[in-house]
Amino acid sequence: MESLVYIALFAPLVSSLFAGLFAMTPKKQFVGVISSLLLFASFVASAILAYHISSTNEIIHVKLMDWIAAGNLNIPFGFLVDYVSVTMMVVVTLVSTVVHIYSNGYMDHDKSFNRFFSYLSAFVFSMLVLVMSDNFAGLFIGWEGVGVCSWLLIGFWYHKADVTRDVNPSISPSWAANEAFIMNRIADLGMLVGLFIIYWNVGSLQYDVVFKAIPNLTPIILTTAAIALFIGAMGKSAQFPLHTWLTDAMEGPTPVSALIHAATMVTAGVFLVIRANPIFSVTPEVSYFIAALGTFVAFFAASMALVNRDLKRIIAFSTLSQLGYMFAAAGLGAYWIALFHLAAHAFFKALLFLGAGNVMHGMHNELDIFKMGGLKKVMRGTYLYMGLASLALAGIFPLAGFYSKDAIIETAFNEGNLILFIILIVTAGMTAFYSFRQVFLTFHGDERYKELGIHPHEMYKYVLIAMSPLAILAVIAGWFKGWFNSFIIHLLPNYEMSEHTHHLALYITLIVSAFAFGGIILAYIKYNKGLVRSEKTENSLIYKLLINQYYIPILYEAVISKPYAELSKLAWKADTKIIDTFVDGIAKVLYVSGDKTRGMQSGNLSNYLNWMAAGAIVLLVVAILSLVAV
Amino acid sequence: MSNILTILVFFPALAGLLGFVIDKNSARVYGVAIATVEFILSLFLWMTFDASNPTFQFIEHFPIVKDFGISYYLGVDGISLFLVVMTTFMTLIGMISMSVKDEIKNMVITLLFLEMTMVGVFLALDAIMFYVFWELSLVPMLYIIGAWGGPLRVYASIKFFLYTFTGSLVMLVGMLIVAYSFSQATGGVWSFAITDWYALGFDMKYQIGLFLAFFIGFAIKVPMFPFHTWLPYAHGQAPTIGSVILAAVLLKMGTYGFVRFSLPMFPDASVLMILPIAIISIIMIIYTAMVAYAQEDMKQVIAYSSVSHMGIVMLGIFAMNSEGISGSVFQMLSHGIVSGALFMLVGVIYDRTHTKYMKDFGGLASIMPRYALVFGIMLMASVGLPLTIGFVGEFLVLIGFYKVSPILTILAGTSIILGAVYMLTLFKRSFFGPVTNEANKKLKDLNANELVSFIPLVAVVVWLGIYPKPVLSIIDNSVNYTLSIMEKKAMTPEAKNIIIVKNSKEAK
Amino acid sequence: MIGLNHYLILSGILFSIGLVGVLRRKNLLMLFFSTEIMLNAANVAFAAISNFYNDLSGQMFAFFIIAIAASEVAIGLGLLILVYKKENTLDLDDLASMKG
Repeated sequence: MESLVYIALFAPLVSSLFAGLFAMTPKKQFVGVISSLLLFASFVASAILAYHISSTNEIIHVKLMDWIAAGNLNIPFGFLVDYVSVTMMVVVTLVSTVVHIYSNGYMDHDKSFNRFFSYLSAFVFSMLVLVMSDNFAGLFIGWEGVGVCSWLLIGFWYHKADVTRDVNPSISPSWAANEAFIMNRIADLGMLVGLFIIYWNVGSLQYDVVFKAIPNLTPIILTTAAIALFIGAMGKSAQFPLHTWLTDAMEGPTPVSALIHAATMVTAGVFLVIRANPIFSVTPEVSYFIAALGTFVAFFAASMALVNRDLKRIIAFSTLSQLGYMFAAAGLGAYWIALFHLAAHAFFKALLFLGAGNVMHGMHNELDIFKMGGLKKVMRGTYLYMGLASLALAGIFPLAGFYSKDAIIETAFNEGNLILFIILIVTAGMTAFYSFRQVFLTFHGDERYKELGIHPHEMYKYVLIAMSPLAILAVIAGWFKGWFNSFIIHLLPNYEMSEHTHHLALYITLIVSAFAFGGIILAYIKYNKGLVRSEKTENSLIYKLLINQYYIPILYEAVISKPYAELSKLAWKADTKIIDTFVDGIAKVLYVSGDKTRGMQSGNLSNYLNWMAAGAIVLLVVAILSLVAV
Repeated sequence: MSNILTILVFFPALAGLLGFVIDKNSARVYGVAIATVEFILSLFLWMTFDASNPTFQFIEHFPIVKDFGISYYLGVDGISLFLVVMTTFMTLIGMISMSVKDEIKNMVITLLFLEMTMVGVFLALDAIMFYVFWELSLVPMLYIIGAWGGPLRVYASIKFFLYTFTGSLVMLVGMLIVAYSFSQATGGVWSFAITDWYALGFDMKYQIGLFLAFFIGFAIKVPMFPFHTWLPYAHGQAPTIGSVILAAVLLKMGTYGFVRFSLPMFPDASVLMILPIAIISIIMIIYTAMVAYAQEDMKQVIAYSSVSHMGIVMLGIFAMNSEGISGSVFQMLSHGIVSGALFMLVGVIYDRTHTKYMKDFGGLASIMPRYALVFGIMLMASVGLPLTIGFVGEFLVLIGFYKVSPILTILAGTSIILGAVYMLTLFKRSFFGPVTNEANKKLKDLNANELVSFIPLVAVVVWLGIYPKPVLSIIDNSVNYTLSIMEKKAMTPEAKNIIIVKNSKEAK
Repeated sequence: MIGLNHYLILSGILFSIGLVGVLRRKNLLMLFFSTEIMLNAANVAFAAISNFYNDLSGQMFAFFIIAIAASEVAIGLGLLILVYKKENTLDLDDLASMKG
């Protein structure tokens, strides 16, 4: 079993290094094929591990070697394959494999084809380190590793120039990449502080040691640790106020958006909360804050998705919104439901993104849904996939999203928190609306793309076939909810609905479904026939607010980036004009005083004698005075 | 090889003397050969080093001026071992990558002399010897900056020389006072041996004064805010090889001085000074990171980033626990290798285009992919990415200092954000975007010679990032020994409380 | 009665005359004379104090001074002649070759 762990973990690394060998050479098809095969090997290993664990209930814990050891600190490279990590492994490797195969088709015309596979596989490796590590420091390795890979992949088309926000809200791929990296670093500082708190209070960073020591810790320590860790989670999972990078990250190639910015990396924050659930479950205030923030983000992001015109950005907002749902569940203590939604969401959201990638590929990188329409005729397969994924996202019975999202809303009700409950239900309606607004605007109605002279075409067959596992899972994943529950509660606390909720469960489901259907019907009425734009709506304050993302990116620029740049310039000025001038001033004083007293050196002996006599008299006076003083 | 330390110190200088008779065209090969031998010698030292012994090894000791206790005293422990190895390594790499064309013979000889002084500083266990090597190291560097530097070279070299020289004179006074107190305490027996001084206790007033005297000498060298302004000039004007050695090794002499002298000799004063030094360090970290962000010149960004990273090193030294100090020493190595490599990388582009301004570049990643790759790796090491050498030290320093003060650690931790800000901005402006300068389209990627010098650096960055143990455990061992000296000597309860020796006190 | 004080006053006056000479005169030869006067002022003081304390070492010192003054004059005058030959003047204002 140990070798399977290593195969699962290192196959992507091998793939990355192998592809890296050819990174600077022109496209080689075999690179993509071999990378995909290695990823598939990793998936198979993960699946076998999952089967092994579910059948034998044996947790696999391996220690590769020591990493950092200084003082009392000892961090090994240890890997833990248990119920939670194996779930993540299967999800990550499955989606990655599909995305790798997909990329063979999507990136076929890109001159950096090989480099792309190198980065993509490196990302999968980092993500696996993140989920498999048996300690917080190892998690942090993966945490930063996925950050760097995300930086590389968002900025994959780094040669594009910066443009203004009006032309492209993300400015440029390299700008978006830096934004993502720096914002994540802000959160990482929080995460590091969490690690420090844990280390100095427990003396170890191993999960098992830390969780065992929790009863000995004071509430204040636990609360600060939980807050610090959650700040880390907020960055990676793009929670408000560190959310702006996620939509800008759509500058990366679409497979990247599917893998990193929908299915895996952004869920790392949720994974952290689930992994560290013993800490969060004893800090109810922090947990409540997580739930509240999650609910807020769910609504907040959904609202921005309502009006956006960019195919990928809409999906990005919906990802944000669904992450909010996951945090809401985790914050309310329903960790396993959060993990379940995480997995289900990974499947249908990756599918949705890959479908969007097909559309982009067919539409020659056009992303504006106002310029599409009627594509279902030419892109049947993609239409089917995106339709399915949107249904799943909207939470329509019996697709995956229905089971997982419904459970989260039920949890909110069960906790008796009506505000969260209502917001989550409303958001579910909004989700259905914006998903189908996008589907209808893209695939139904009049063929607006014809005005642009674009001739869309369907994606390659093998790519569509490669996407099918995600499509199937988007449909059936929810049916395994009961099985998953019995599997995961070996590790995560079970979350039982109260008797009262049980009675009302059917009604809640009906309400949620009603909202979902309502959203779809509304979208159908408004957009099925084609695009109807109304000046009045588009000039309204709310529309402007939403389309500009509540002006938050502009605000950040005005309040943080610009002042920081100004302050830096000022600091530089201070450095040269004040500190250095002072230092040079000392030298100058010495120099000038020498220069000024140089006049004494007149060369005239009688002048010198006068000075000497004066000096002698002064010395005499001093001597006499000191004698007198004694 | 019982005299290996003497050989290590003087071999380069003697070989340098021989260099005067070498033919001009073969001077560079000669230099590389000597540096290689020296590097192999230092590796041999590492191999034969007894990792389980935390005290000084390979000791060579005989008196020079008996009446005043001045002796020829060399020794190596876990703290100095790797600084020596790094010195010989970086000299070798610098020698290989060197692009100086004029007077190359003089450059090679100067570098070899410089190597002697640097190795000497790290191996000397007699304060006078330490001081002599310390001051001697200024001369070759003065010559390198003054002779091969940019347009402002004379100003820069004299500023560098006078500034650091002034500081070390204050330190010399401190040393003399310590030696005098030693003779007072022992009834007339003089000694300048550091190991003897370790045993000497001072009362609080003395400790603070002496601490400050040593502080001036070391702080200017580090350089600590606000004594850092010589550094941008020196780096700005120095030729690439000068910047590499200056950043990689000379700055470490200051921080090494703190570990070797200030901490074990004045434990109480050190503990008392934690707060002021931490505040200065944090100013260094944040303020110079901001200044680095404002720079237009790639080399100046890296010069200021050096100051910022040295702030981390300083902070770790005053964490007073094994995590922090070991992390600090490790960070010295990592900064030496990473900033040396970054200066070399800037040198590569400067040799090709004769400009260091970011605005003249843009889109370099498309033209020079290998160069961009190496730069990217070094950049990631510089911002402290896990599994690169930069993370280990920074993480340990921050975790160590967290025990002393959580708030200050969070402030210092902003270095991981601000470092990313200026480094990524540099990378974006020079490497990303379209190629704006037509002339740059014809630039050649790294050639074989440059690859030979960068591949070992990349290898070390990755190796010590993934498996720092062989280095870290030896450092940690000696750091712990130093801490135990401090704990034994410490008089004030605050000091006793804050100094944590591994295994003797449970981490609370 | 002429006491010690009178001698010392004489010595002081002589010294002051010499000092003023040193400070005011511009001719090198005159400077020499003035220094001789100052040395002799010291001699007077030595001799007087020696007599006052009945201690011969003061007078011994006076002889030393006379001897040294003599050798000084010998070398000094030699140098003066050389300077005069070279520069054609002994005026200090014209001899300012060391101006910084």
